[in-house]
Amino acid sequence: MSKKILSVDDDPDIIVFVKTVLEENGYTPLIAKNGETGLAMAKVEKPSLIILDVLMPKQSGIRMYRELKNDPELRDIPVIILSGIAKRTFLRSQEALTEFGDEPVPEPSAYIEKPVDPQELAEIIARFVK
Amino acid sequence: MKMNKLLLIDDEEGILKVLSMSLRHEGYVVHTAPNGREGLAVFEKEHPHVVLTDLKMPGMDGFQVLRRVKEIDPDAEVIVITGHGDMDSAIEALRYGASDFINKPVRDEALRIALDRAREKLEMKRQLRAYTTDLEQMCQIATEEVRRKSEFQDKLITSSNDGIVATDESGTIILFNPGAEKIFGYSRRELVEKKNFADLYPDEVAEEFRSGFRRKRDKRGWGWKEVNIQAKGGEPVPVRFSGALLYEGDNVIGSVGFFQDLREIRRLQRELVQSERLAAIGQTVARLAHYIKNILTGLQGGMYVVNIGLDKDDKDKLKAGWTMVQRNIGRVSDLVMDLLTYSKEREPEYRDCFPNDIVEDVCELMEAKAAQNKIALVRDLDPAVGQVTMDPSAVHRCLLNLVSNAIDACLFDLSENKEWRVSVKTEQAEDNVIRFSVTDNGAGMTSDVRKKLFSAFFSTKGGKGTGLGLLVTHKLVQENGGRIEVASEPGRGSTFTICLPYRRDAGDGIRRRARAGKNH
Repeated sequence: MSKKILSVDDDPDIIVFVKTVLEENGYTPLIAKNGETGLAMAKVEKPSLIILDVLMPKQSGIRMYRELKNDPELRDIPVIILSGIAKRTFLRSQEALTEFGDEPVPEPSAYIEKPVDPQELAEIIARFVK
Repeated sequence: MKMNKLLLIDDEEGILKVLSMSLRHEGYVVHTAPNGREGLAVFEKEHPHVVLTDLKMPGMDGFQVLRRVKEIDPDAEVIVITGHGDMDSAIEALRYGASDFINKPVRDEALRIALDRAREKLEMKRQLRAYTTDLEQMCQIATEEVRRKSEFQDKLITSSNDGIVATDESGTIILFNPGAEKIFGYSRRELVEKKNFADLYPDEVAEEFRSGFRRKRDKRGWGWKEVNIQAKGGEPVPVRFSGALLYEGDNVIGSVGFFQDLREIRRLQRELVQSERLAAIGQTVARLAHYIKNILTGLQGGMYVVNIGLDKDDKDKLKAGWTMVQRNIGRVSDLVMDLLTYSKEREPEYRDCFPNDIVEDVCELMEAKAAQNKIALVRDLDPAVGQVTMDPSAVHRCLLNLVSNAIDACLFDLSENKEWRVSVKTEQAEDNVIRFSVTDNGAGMTSDVRKKLFSAFFSTKGGKGTGLGLLVTHKLVQENGGRIEVASEPGRGSTFTICLPYRRDAGDGIRRRARAGKNH
């Protein structure tokens, strides 16, 4: 059975694009349109990898990332951030949350700034899903 | 007792003896001399206050003694002793400056009176001299003080950066400092005592001075105000001006005007505006580039999915990819339309329409997005709003922007378990105006965000907004002679209200109002 990969994004373009890339490379795509649904799906489906957008309405990717990393059952799932914002900005947001008293969390497995080439995305995914 | 030194000159030894004894007895210090020549020698040596001299003496007579004594010391008092009944000589002596005369034989009584009078005179002279000296000194001190003050004020006026121009009561310029030379471009020589303030001041300033001169005590000065003066070469110079009338009692004795050069400040202001504009352009370009990059990403993604569909002959993939391409072409087209609307002057296109129908159209377009995100889209339409003449495409565009923003405001709201709701309302307002309002209970705005709402390319939606929506809305509303208002509270939501004028039949009136609106 093929490996499950969860994509969390609110942008319909990215949803279709990532879904297609995953299918083309033999994975089973799971799609969530916001952080809340994404977290729930992660708990139920235990995917092999999560591709996460940072800027989403409602529960943002920034929050969801922390919750993933603070959950003992989920923290070992590799997370690739796929985002329109720069890596520096994302890391800074994590630092800021740590300064506010949260536990520090590890950096994401990979950070991709949009736009991304399908080939490149597939290669990065393959690094973490054996 | 002061001024008690006497010189007694007489050729009769007896008289010398008797008089000197009696005078010493009275407390005088008495020097004696038997003739004029010796008398003068004693006078020069002892400087007596009073000289008593016989007129008729062999050799140098009393007249000569009198004249010499007065030459040596004009203040010395000389009393002459004349022969009995010799009034002519007495009068002659008085003419030469004698202070008094006594007749022979010298009686004590007459002598005492003459001496007392002489001493009184001396005392008066001394006091007078003291006063005079004091007065001279005081005058000198005062003069010095005045000179210093005047010099100080001169320096103040000369070194002042402000232009200072003073006139006399006729308006003729009497003072024109270097500061004024710099501002007006004229030299002192060209103006002082030659020109009137009216030749120099701009009309509005000159008029103030003129009215000040006319009405006594009515006005004393003017606060600072900004005016343009015309410099010598005709160049307009922006200045801050204040002026005052100079009074002496109730009478106007002149005027003074103060001028501060604003050219440098204006230049800096222009530079600031310019650099702010450049910064704004930079931000705009960056934001647009970012937005276009997002669209490009969507297009490239669409192409990829379409290619997969073609390769695999997968109709679903083809459809999904093609939808992506279409959606992003739509975004490009919207962006270009927004940019065009924003950059071009556009004449409203008035047509007969039903505003409530436009609201329905907009709501139908947004319904899917609202429903997908569990946001209730509510219409609250005033049945009194009937057919009117308006610019329907502008109304449509504005409402679409506002409703779309309202839905985003709900999407970006971080509150939990809220029943999000966007309502669109129409109202027949006063004076041929329809009021449209779009209310949401989403994220709301801080006052900082509210202030930037209608400024260039401001967006809170990250890469998902161009920052053009409200800018375009604002512009359309203005072009249509209406106004837009915002009320908002963070966490509680926002209400955008547009008031647009209309006519029941098409005509020029509304067009004129629309133009007037643009000038705001």
